[in-house]
Amino acid sequence: MPDLVKSFRPYVTWANARGAWPDIIFSTRVRFARNLEGFPFPNRAEPRQLAEIRRLALAAARDSGLFTSGHFIKLEALDQLEKRFLVERHHVSHALAASVLPSGAAVSEDEDLSVMVNEEDHLRLQCLNSGFAIEEAFAAALKLDETLGRALPFAYGPKFGFLTACPTNTGTGIRVSCLAHLPALSRLGQMPQVLESLSHLGVTARGIYGEGTYVLGDFYQISNAACLGRTEEEFCLNIDRVIRNLIRQELAARELLLKGPVKLKTEDAVYRALGLLRHARSLSYEEFMQNLSLARMGAALGWDIGVDFSTFNQVTLLMQPAHIQAAAGRSLAPEARDAFRADYLRKKLA
Amino acid sequence: MKLCEECHSAAASVFLKLAVNNKVTETHLCPACAVKKGMGLGLETGAFNISEIVGNMSGYFKDFLPPERRTLCCASCGLKYSEFKENGRLGCPECYKNFEAQLTELMSRIHGASQHAGRTYAGGARLKLSRTEFSRRMGELKVALKAAVAKEDFEGAARIRDAIKELGPRHA
Repeated sequence: MPDLVKSFRPYVTWANARGAWPDIIFSTRVRFARNLEGFPFPNRAEPRQLAEIRRLALAAARDSGLFTSGHFIKLEALDQLEKRFLVERHHVSHALAASVLPSGAAVSEDEDLSVMVNEEDHLRLQCLNSGFAIEEAFAAALKLDETLGRALPFAYGPKFGFLTACPTNTGTGIRVSCLAHLPALSRLGQMPQVLESLSHLGVTARGIYGEGTYVLGDFYQISNAACLGRTEEEFCLNIDRVIRNLIRQELAARELLLKGPVKLKTEDAVYRALGLLRHARSLSYEEFMQNLSLARMGAALGWDIGVDFSTFNQVTLLMQPAHIQAAAGRSLAPEARDAFRADYLRKKLA
Repeated sequence: MKLCEECHSAAASVFLKLAVNNKVTETHLCPACAVKKGMGLGLETGAFNISEIVGNMSGYFKDFLPPERRTLCCASCGLKYSEFKENGRLGCPECYKNFEAQLTELMSRIHGASQHAGRTYAGGARLKLSRTEFSRRMGELKVALKAAVAKEDFEGAARIRDAIKELGPRHA
């Protein structure tokens, strides 16, 4: 098994189902997009400039005291499995993992704080927290931003605020997002209308790994679309309101799934899914996620599923392809991976 | 049996559900067409080539941007405004000064505002540049200073001298 993967803990705190509404909100993330003065943005920088930016950024992260016993990573030096592992842990984007240019990441020991270096912007600072926890994630991300902002000169102007490669991130550079599990709304076919209504509220919905990813297991990333013209707190407050409203809608949808003859159908679907998770002998990640979604909904409805949310959340991470291969200690072809996944899941749910 | 929505001949076995611009779209594809769309690797982890599926996103910026002369470019990094319109990415922090008028309008359309209202920033410590980056920058400034003096552009030369002072003595 690669050393990088071994150096990470088997579980992450932001998936431990603490915080408010853990049955609906998997995790909360606050990130700031920042760039260094005096360098072109990554898309126009030369490799030697990217290497210099990474050196400066990782040194600042190390000196900040916020990454004690953390990980300081040069991405292009990693193999495919290690990169995918970091993507699956949400520390690195798909786009950054695909880059062959000097890029990097700093990740704190318990993996709540991370800095992505040389993705679309020089720096993406983020804090990930478990459950619905916008205030906590915002406070921690702000502390990281302020600490690194003292050590490094960020590109900033009084008119447009913090300057970023893409004008959609300019201003505060903030993105507040909640990873929401919405199985009841999905089952009732209400997601198209829900997403439509979100777009009128200045909010964007994406798939589980963020930008450019598809919807898996009824998990949606809900985040602010604009980030200029209001304060950071106002953008947080807007997402807070939207998420609270979304939680109410999901709860109302659950009620409908328990009414009259629909209840039996719901119960049947949930327990079949649970049976599949517990007894399958070969399981693709997609099939796992579909069935996990239903079983997780059963737990959210208060039924005797025998699996708590912390376990559901951890297996959601552990069953991903790179995690499976890390657990197996070797690279596996898809069929072997699916068989290993089914065995591994049975042990985790036992 | 459902046929692939791309080639309309093979059986669709890949079901793709996307949330793009807050709309859920559902696409049924055969494995071959799914790979063609750049989803071969991403099928398990959910990565795919979004531009192939929802069309070129640069249209988003094209639609929103006012038409501009082809010659407009950033004095600092050389990015042409027309290039920005193509790919939606600015080249450097100075682009914001050089394209200020155009970006003011664009910001209003993207964010509904064009004036930053969040935290102010007092600036951070001077960069501790590596020896090579420091000498490269110093070299560039000295060449520019010579050229400015030769052209008797004394204002320009004064600005460059300030920049040299700003770059400062190399850190320890």
